[in-house]
Amino acid sequence: MADNQGLDLTKDTQLYLLLSAPQDTNAMNIMVVKKSLAVGCTPLIVSINQPSQVLVKSYAKEGISPDQYFVVDAVTHYSGGTTVSNPHIRYVNQPSDLTGLGIAITEFLKQIPSPRKCIIFDSVSMLLIHIPSATASKFLHFVVNKLKISEVSGIFLCVENGLDPVILSQMTVFVDKIVDFEEIKNKITPQAGSLK
Amino acid sequence: MAKNSVGKAEDTSCEDVFKMVFDRIQTGILIIEPETHTIIDANDHAESLLGVKKDKLVGKVCHDFVCLAHCGECPITDLHKSFHNTERVLISATGEKIPVLKTVAPASIGGKAYLIESFVDIRDRKRAEQRKIALLAYLNESVLRIKKPLELTGQNLYQIELQVGSGEYTAEEIRMQIRIQSNNIMTMAATLQELARTAAEERDDIPEGFREFFIRK
Repeated sequence: MADNQGLDLTKDTQLYLLLSAPQDTNAMNIMVVKKSLAVGCTPLIVSINQPSQVLVKSYAKEGISPDQYFVVDAVTHYSGGTTVSNPHIRYVNQPSDLTGLGIAITEFLKQIPSPRKCIIFDSVSMLLIHIPSATASKFLHFVVNKLKISEVSGIFLCVENGLDPVILSQMTVFVDKIVDFEEIKNKITPQAGSLK
Repeated sequence: MAKNSVGKAEDTSCEDVFKMVFDRIQTGILIIEPETHTIIDANDHAESLLGVKKDKLVGKVCHDFVCLAHCGECPITDLHKSFHNTERVLISATGEKIPVLKTVAPASIGGKAYLIESFVDIRDRKRAEQRKIALLAYLNESVLRIKKPLELTGQNLYQIELQVGSGEYTAEEIRMQIRIQSNNIMTMAATLQELARTAAEERDDIPEGFREFFIRK
């Protein structure tokens, strides 16, 4: 099922489902952000897993500056954390607030000035904690349509074997490629943190 | 059959015995004249399943009751197909679609060829299959929404542990992340309870008391 040719974000409006083992989800997130920035594509990270405050710190450790990306943060409110006013971050009350997520994504897609942008959805698996798989499927269909209309690339992160066969078959139709992170992570040069 | 019963049966004619079996068997039977597709006879169970009295069945063509094929497209006589315990649907007089296992066998009665069409009601079996599918769906949904997220939560907690050890993250950042994982676990527990409740509500093979326990009545 997985395509081992990897991610190619040099093309516009490419949609990927990126699968990884649970222990690789953070590395996968950082790898995708780096790869998109490397090809001049501004990433919009939809985070259902980590608060933006922590993401910013993790990215900074990898040499990624906060003005290089945008974040829709669905977990800071959920964690009782404090929000900060930042034009690069939008907060959604909780991960199950699909309307809020949809609005934040739509507004950011209009707002991001870069001609090339992509959405990194982290992660489909965590979304399933909060909503039934059938609802998740409808929401992802909505996001994919939004990306196609806006001609924006999308990378949906997911834990391997963590999807309903029905969702997976639908996602297979929505996305251009399903990529196994295991196949491409060895191409990351550890010293430079860059991709071959 | 016990000897006494056999002895009793010997008192009745062979035709009476056949008639008794024909009308009491829990299988719908129609005897059809193959050239005209006319129903020659129907047993009580066929009447009951179709919701049509025998006098309204006999003399009518079978297409009107037990077969959706058009005239000239009879699967048996025109298309030469065979039916042996084949799943089909009967449409009763009330419009109910009744899943059946249908068998059509040729027979010669008094030197004349007939088709004996028999059908067994499998609504209970279909209901059981649907319940099984529903339960598998609930199980699948539980795995998706509990097992994989729990694995992720375990991994996230390990990452938080590393962050604490690194000393690079503030107490508030660590607290937020622990709270997210804690909230996620509570959400998963609620989801599991909700899935069990829904599964129990839709299953009629679970004893009432046990079902009430599941749905916390």
